[in-house]
Amino acid sequence: MTWNSSGRLARVFLVAFTVAVLIYLIMPTFVIVPMSFSSKSYLSFPPPGWSVQWYQTMLERHDYPQAFWNSIKIGVPVALLSTTLGTLAALGVVRGRFFGARPMSAVVIAPLMLPQIILAIGLYPIMAKFGLAGSYPGVVLGHTVICIPLVFITVAASLKNYHPAYEYAAMTLGAGWWSTFWHVTFPMIRVGVIVGGILAFTFSFDELIIALFLTSPETRTLPRLLWEDLRQYVTPIIAAATTLVLCISFLLFGAVALLQRRLSKASKS
Amino acid sequence: MTSQDTAPRETTGRIWSPARGYFVILSLPVLFLAVFFIWPLAGVVLRSFEGGDGIFFQYLTVFERSSYIQVLGYTLQVATTVTVLCLLIAYPVAALVARLQGSWLQVAFALILVPFWTSTVIRTYAWMVLFQRKGVINDMLLNFGVIDAPLRFMHNNIGVHIGMVHIMLPFMLLPLISAFRNIDPSYMRAAGVLGANPIRAFWHVYLPLSMPGVSAGVALVFITSLGFFITPALLGGAKNMMVAVLIEQQVSITVNWELASALASILLIVTACLYVVYDRVSRRAGGGGVLD
Repeated sequence: MTWNSSGRLARVFLVAFTVAVLIYLIMPTFVIVPMSFSSKSYLSFPPPGWSVQWYQTMLERHDYPQAFWNSIKIGVPVALLSTTLGTLAALGVVRGRFFGARPMSAVVIAPLMLPQIILAIGLYPIMAKFGLAGSYPGVVLGHTVICIPLVFITVAASLKNYHPAYEYAAMTLGAGWWSTFWHVTFPMIRVGVIVGGILAFTFSFDELIIALFLTSPETRTLPRLLWEDLRQYVTPIIAAATTLVLCISFLLFGAVALLQRRLSKASKS
Repeated sequence: MTSQDTAPRETTGRIWSPARGYFVILSLPVLFLAVFFIWPLAGVVLRSFEGGDGIFFQYLTVFERSSYIQVLGYTLQVATTVTVLCLLIAYPVAALVARLQGSWLQVAFALILVPFWTSTVIRTYAWMVLFQRKGVINDMLLNFGVIDAPLRFMHNNIGVHIGMVHIMLPFMLLPLISAFRNIDPSYMRAAGVLGANPIRAFWHVYLPLSMPGVSAGVALVFITSLGFFITPALLGGAKNMMVAVLIEQQVSITVNWELASALASILLIVTACLYVVYDRVSRRAGGGGVLD
């Protein structure tokens, strides 16, 4: 056998393997979607018949709608707060040329690398001390800690794409601090900021461990409710709720993909 | 325009320096992280020295009880296996995806990123559904005659590994793809022209050049796997427990905050050391550390 023909065989094998791995990545999640339309209360694939009864049951129960709104009420402030703080951190680290700016970036990113359980058991007593355990602000602050690095990374990446000379030019021409930021810096990093904000919202919307410790039955988020239900019984109601969450995640994913395509087009022209 | 606007900055008395301005900017997020990140972690470490006679009481308890040692050992073992499996699976896939162009590349990227955007709770739930005694996987294996009786995937090692590799795979694929895309294909052609067979060229040219991606992916997957909670809690069994699950149980069931804090401190120290090493290595490899 020559190198050429065995090379072709290897290539066919490589393509088949890659397709198999991509299917492994994607398929399991989507098995849930048809099951949520099942006509029976047990989960089997393919479902024995079709109905939307589980969506109706979900909407009639008060805990699912409540948890859904809680997730939004927590995710939006998290996105706003972490976008502000993450952008400030990125500006400071990327543009600041003082001693300690580099190691500082490692500190800002650390919450993302740290197991969330450690932060959760550390935050709980502090929140309890200030009477914030189980409240909206408590879990918002907890999620923001982990979302700051998400915004920081995306904004820092877009800041590095252009030279600070633009800002110096504006300042030399007499622009003040705020107008330099608003008219020069912000338009150039806008996409990064928005993408960071969407990432932060998605993280908060999906996060379980911090929510497990810092929310109460009144403020519990959708992941926490799913978690509590999962440990008791596996019904199609969970599949229905999960399908809804998947739809929202994919809308956000699509939005980010569009934004990034616009960004890459803008940088080419 | 007024005369004030055009006046040189120096004459106003306060010399505005960008560096100083950025220092002020940075202080706000740093203050926030000090209060809601550093303080809680310090609290955990401090609490781990309380609640017994002698400051190392909790740590002695952890290292004297074989069941706790077992949990720590199992955590290390799972993190290592998951990292190795991810590397073995992701390496060839990333090598192929990195060579794609145009819309094929975008499709592959979308397929890798979609799992990134779906919550871990949901993806673990999907595996629970697939792994049931009468679930899709058992049905398929029975229909094709691979097995005679349904297999158990849940509450044991197999389920935890399949579920965790599924969740960690994108974290290995993305750094690998970006490293592979930086390798100039003419190097491999040059090796071929100079007489190296494909295996030799791969071993001496491609593999060394891909090492930055390998080390980034390995570090990311290993560190994240150490603190995994959701997947082992739902798919794992009582016999094989990972440390994050044990910490949660110590707090919510046993209400032993001091012991939970000691376990968390051990996890914190291991994670922090690995993170520092990874940051150093990736910075030396030519990147700008974690940032890039």
